[in-house]
Amino acid sequence: MEQFAVRPLVPLHIGGYDVSFTNQALWMCIVVGAVTLFMALATNRRSVVPGRMQSMAEISYEFVANMIGTTSGEDGMIFFPFVFTLFMFILLSNFLGLIPGSFTVTSQICVTFGLAAFIIAMVIVTGFIKHGIGFLMLFVPKAPWYILPLLVPIEFISFMTRPISLSVRLFANMLAGHTLLKVFAAFVILLGGAGGVLSALSIAPFALIVAITALELLVAALQAYVFAILTCIYLNEALHLHEHH
Amino acid sequence: MTAPKRDELRSLGERLDAAEERNRAGQAAPAPGSMAIAFRFTTEMVSALVVGGGIGYGIDWAFARWTSVHTRPWGMIAMFVLGAAAGMLNVIRAAKEINAEIAAKKDGD
Repeated sequence: MEQFAVRPLVPLHIGGYDVSFTNQALWMCIVVGAVTLFMALATNRRSVVPGRMQSMAEISYEFVANMIGTTSGEDGMIFFPFVFTLFMFILLSNFLGLIPGSFTVTSQICVTFGLAAFIIAMVIVTGFIKHGIGFLMLFVPKAPWYILPLLVPIEFISFMTRPISLSVRLFANMLAGHTLLKVFAAFVILLGGAGGVLSALSIAPFALIVAITALELLVAALQAYVFAILTCIYLNEALHLHEHH
Repeated sequence: MTAPKRDELRSLGERLDAAEERNRAGQAAPAPGSMAIAFRFTTEMVSALVVGGGIGYGIDWAFARWTSVHTRPWGMIAMFVLGAAAGMLNVIRAAKEINAEIAAKKDGD
């Protein structure tokens, strides 16, 4: 579909690789710019009684801080800047993607998988720094020794699925939502052009589009939340291994 | 300004309580939607199958490439089954996480 197509805006080839500046790169820059602008404007005044913008910034700050606090406790707070940046980036990508004519960065599997792969790499690095070779005990559940040969591969596969399930969930939600909107929009045009009674009926899919757009707003926020909280849970496992239950 | 009657005060108190009750009912954090939960489980299960099958395929490929042992398709079959087990493990863990989340929200009220 046209709205998901990645088009080069500034063609650029370095050493045989296509590194063109695409519409996707442009929208990622717009999202980063929007987040930065929002936070800069919101914290500009820093009044004791916050205004609207400052309240929004404070709410998002406390939301992420609570999320990290409940999943990984005090020592998880070193990841606060990372998780906050991640959450705001995904949230704003999802929201800006809902503007008609814009480009949804998170509807591209390469973007979401890039984020997820980076998170898992960070989990592995954190785990090895914190626990050394003992981090590998993550794959050894508490069980009688004779079933370990079966359980360790299962735990390993389970760990390996994380970047895939994390990225596919966000990507598929965004893709499905936008496709749904597009399909119903096509219904409106087809029915409207059919003439007679059918034209009047086109109001039904149009009403549905309004409802689905509201639903998509919810999905956009929810998926950003799910992505961020799973990041916290995985980072917590790297910090505390099995203690979390 | 005359002092308000006791009846008025009591009815005000009752109305305040009712309003608070209504507010609390609205604030009770909604449990994650059924769609979201179903989607979570599906991705956990399917990605485990894909990863398991993929690792198995890789093992078969590596054996064929560097040894003369002919393992195809048994590596893929075995790892696919292990992947299914890992997928169920993922789903159970996800369910536990969601339960804990709902319980935490109920405690918070």
